[in-house]
Amino acid sequence: MQTTAKPSRKYLATPIFGVLMGVVYLVALSVAGNPVSGVLAFAVMAAFSGGLLLARRRSETVRGLLDHRDERISAIDLRATAVTALVMIAVVLVAFVVEIARGQSGWPYSMLGAVGGVTYLAAVIVLRIRG
Amino acid sequence: MRERRAAKGLSQADLAQRMDVSRQTINSIETGRYTPSLPLAIAIARFFGVTVEEIFHADHS
Repeated sequence: MQTTAKPSRKYLATPIFGVLMGVVYLVALSVAGNPVSGVLAFAVMAAFSGGLLLARRRSETVRGLLDHRDERISAIDLRATAVTALVMIAVVLVAFVVEIARGQSGWPYSMLGAVGGVTYLAAVIVLRIRG
Repeated sequence: MRERRAAKGLSQADLAQRMDVSRQTINSIETGRYTPSLPLAIAIARFFGVTVEEIFHADHS
């Protein structure tokens, strides 16, 4: 997955997404009548995004995770994402079983599990077609 | 690969910069902890002017 040495601003995508999510939290919490929490949430996300940019200067790993130029770090990112997904699936399944054992409907874990299952099947089909 | 790099007087960071990967990746390839993708293996082999088979041995996992 080697790429060209062309300068790229791709590394800004995650920090920008973090700041945008901070704005979304700020708006959502303000609409809910809790602007102080909104400002705090925005500050946390902005600090996280700024921390990523600062860490990028010192760490090859953070740099690779942000700009996706290094194939090995991209592979690590992919595997870490898969591990995270597996843990999340396990949590959703356990929570669903606990909920139905309590006599509840299993919502929203049933829906989350369905979304996960459908997404996995769709991804397999699309990736198989693309080769 | 380490010997060929050293023969050219390059550090791991130098080779990493030319291959557009991290120094960690060059180190991992040299220590056998990471097997490069085919495009990267070809790029490294071309850089040293040898074939992929000459620089990456098939019996290395």
